[in-house]
Amino acid sequence: MLELAYDAFIEPFVSNRFMLKAVLAGSLVAIASATVGCFIILRRMAFLGDAISHSMVAGVVCGYLLMKKLTGADAHYPAMIIGSLLAGFFTVLLVGFVSKVSRIKDDTAIGVMYTGIFALGGMLASVFSADIHFHLSDFIMGDVLSVDNERLWLMGTVTAIVLFVIILFYRQLKLTSFDPIMAASVGIPVTLIGYVLTTCTSLVVVGAVNIVGVILVIGLLVTPAATAYLLCNRLSTMMVIASVFGVTSVLFGVYLSEWFNFATSPAIVLFSTFQFSVVLVVSPRYGLLATWILRRRAISQPLIEDILGCLRRDDQPVTSRETIYAHVESSSRTIIRAINHLVKNDLLEIVSDTSYRLTEAGTREARRLMRAHRIWETYLQRLGTPDSELHEKAHLLEHVHDEQTVDYLDDRLGHPLKDPHGKEIPEDFVHLVPGEVVNSSLLREGHSGHITEIKSGSDLGLTVDDFITVGPREKSNTLWSFQLPNGNVVLLDHQDTERISVRLTESSDQEN
Amino acid sequence: MIHNAQQSDPAVPAIEVENLTVSYGAVPALLDVSFTIAKGQLVGVIGPNGSGKSTLIKTILGFLKPDVGTVRVLGTPVEKARKSVAYVPQRGTVDWDFPITVAEVAMMGRYGHIPWWSWGPSKEDKEIVDEALEMVRMQDLRHRQIGQLSGGQQQRVFMARALAQGAEVLLLDEPFAGVDAATERAILDVLENAKLSGRTLVVVHHDLATAAEYFDALLLLKQRLFALGTPDQVLHAELLSEVYEGNVRAFSQLQSSIERKG
Repeated sequence: MLELAYDAFIEPFVSNRFMLKAVLAGSLVAIASATVGCFIILRRMAFLGDAISHSMVAGVVCGYLLMKKLTGADAHYPAMIIGSLLAGFFTVLLVGFVSKVSRIKDDTAIGVMYTGIFALGGMLASVFSADIHFHLSDFIMGDVLSVDNERLWLMGTVTAIVLFVIILFYRQLKLTSFDPIMAASVGIPVTLIGYVLTTCTSLVVVGAVNIVGVILVIGLLVTPAATAYLLCNRLSTMMVIASVFGVTSVLFGVYLSEWFNFATSPAIVLFSTFQFSVVLVVSPRYGLLATWILRRRAISQPLIEDILGCLRRDDQPVTSRETIYAHVESSSRTIIRAINHLVKNDLLEIVSDTSYRLTEAGTREARRLMRAHRIWETYLQRLGTPDSELHEKAHLLEHVHDEQTVDYLDDRLGHPLKDPHGKEIPEDFVHLVPGEVVNSSLLREGHSGHITEIKSGSDLGLTVDDFITVGPREKSNTLWSFQLPNGNVVLLDHQDTERISVRLTESSDQEN
Repeated sequence: MIHNAQQSDPAVPAIEVENLTVSYGAVPALLDVSFTIAKGQLVGVIGPNGSGKSTLIKTILGFLKPDVGTVRVLGTPVEKARKSVAYVPQRGTVDWDFPITVAEVAMMGRYGHIPWWSWGPSKEDKEIVDEALEMVRMQDLRHRQIGQLSGGQQQRVFMARALAQGAEVLLLDEPFAGVDAATERAILDVLENAKLSGRTLVVVHHDLATAAEYFDALLLLKQRLFALGTPDQVLHAELLSEVYEGNVRAFSQLQSSIERKG
């Protein structure tokens, strides 16, 4: 067993002396690119990173040709690096210019400019192919196993510079990424910080191109950061975790290519994508699995309301579990979970092992739902819904029962007393609380109170401070009757009652 | 220490705006706007959509440069008064998925005070942030990621950030948009407490019905300044019909609010 592990993980380093250098260089670059990558994804700049890497091809070719023509040196490394950095910067400036002076938006400007510059590089390379003695394809596909000492130093330097800059300007980068307006208002040079980040991106890309090549660079830049983004609630932790994912991508990418004889750069990016997919599924907070479990565990509101309704309709002192099973459509396991939830929220009381009754709060909630159901039924009938569909539709809609919706419908319907089946609609007991001021249109027979306000309009035969008692409604429930202490009865229509506010003295016992 | 923002001479106005014109293109968003806001007031900025309310806030903040005109905060040109002004953004403009916690957002209020070479916030900065979170009652949620908060809590985090800035002038862009009545009350309490501690608050507001109730003074804006005064002076039908071009809904709400008041 131990031997097997040795063969798989250690032996490649012993037998192949390029391996260590490759992994070391790759890890350095991965750390820098993952750290910068965090800011890139938070600022939605991923496409710009891609553009910078592609345009570098032109910079490398220009740098190469310039030194070749001037000094005759082949593949002068510093010139190629400086060329690629300049090309990256030039692209960013061009993109900014185009989107500023025209109606073209950023993403389109990036697409136009970087393909142009990339193509320019390709054209130069083919025109001067006789002068260029290196494989452009290495640059495009990358080759981590060919890293020499010179490049290892380059990557070390790049990583050191990038990490230093990001730590130094951490607060400024964070604030400008999160809230540029506030950043500007406390005097942080937002544009300058943007350029600092672009420079870091260019530097990182120069290094990363050697590892995974122009085409896959964006994967090394954003995938580890995106993976960490699914796990973290803080930017600082996200940067650390992203770096870890970057290093593991390089390490296992190199192993994979060693074991199965793959090309290295695709293996690195592929492993990084694999890590991302795993985290996407299993991330404890933002993962698909967690969301799915949460949804499974959630007790649906309609189910809870159905159970409350069932107990209310049963109208017995105690309701057995079997009755609930018979009337509520759901699996017994889900129903029991919902019942437990209701008990925990003091809406239901356990009487014996298998029977329950509504608590006071539960009764109130059940009545509130019934009121919503009956008002919806009345409303649907008023719209011309066939009687046969009334109950089903209202049953679906009664779960829409926020106070304002129900109050609005009630008012639109002229505060009906009965639903289409002739059953009583409970009074608006949410508002009809003794001692509170309510609109007189909500009053039912038996209520009484003092008038506190009458909105201006025609004379109603009532004045403020009058004590009124509500009598039965008349003219098929469209006229409210208010009786004064002297025996006079005033009849008012819906519109007029709305002008009157009453302080309720006494509650009436209008059970359904 | 943040209960009372650094007090300056009370005779100096909090905000002085003179002949301010700000434009994005051919049509100016603000045209020749001049006004003065005294210290310790809770001022509402009202006006129809696209009337330049947010532009005004961003200009007072120093984020937008005016084409013409000057903005002075506490008697100082706005570029030099950075530490005196704080800003609470509109909820819709914030990236709520950003990996950042409640306490970190509040700490951003101190960033303007921490020198750029410094390693991190000082003990004093941390105390100020704690105090600010306490004022908006968000201490218990300090380690929450901001996306996992309710609408009202989200609004309060940014209030805490503004308070932690220690600024004397607070600018708020639609803090009451899309919150329920109870939350609206809670936010208003925070605003009133801030006012009592001597701060000046300028609040962009879209609901005419509550404007009279909430603010000491109203600033009616639509590209130009139409009125600045007490709610009674500003909220009269003639002026509003001119600005809102006969938007009936706005009036009916207003009628009831005025009656409620009277």
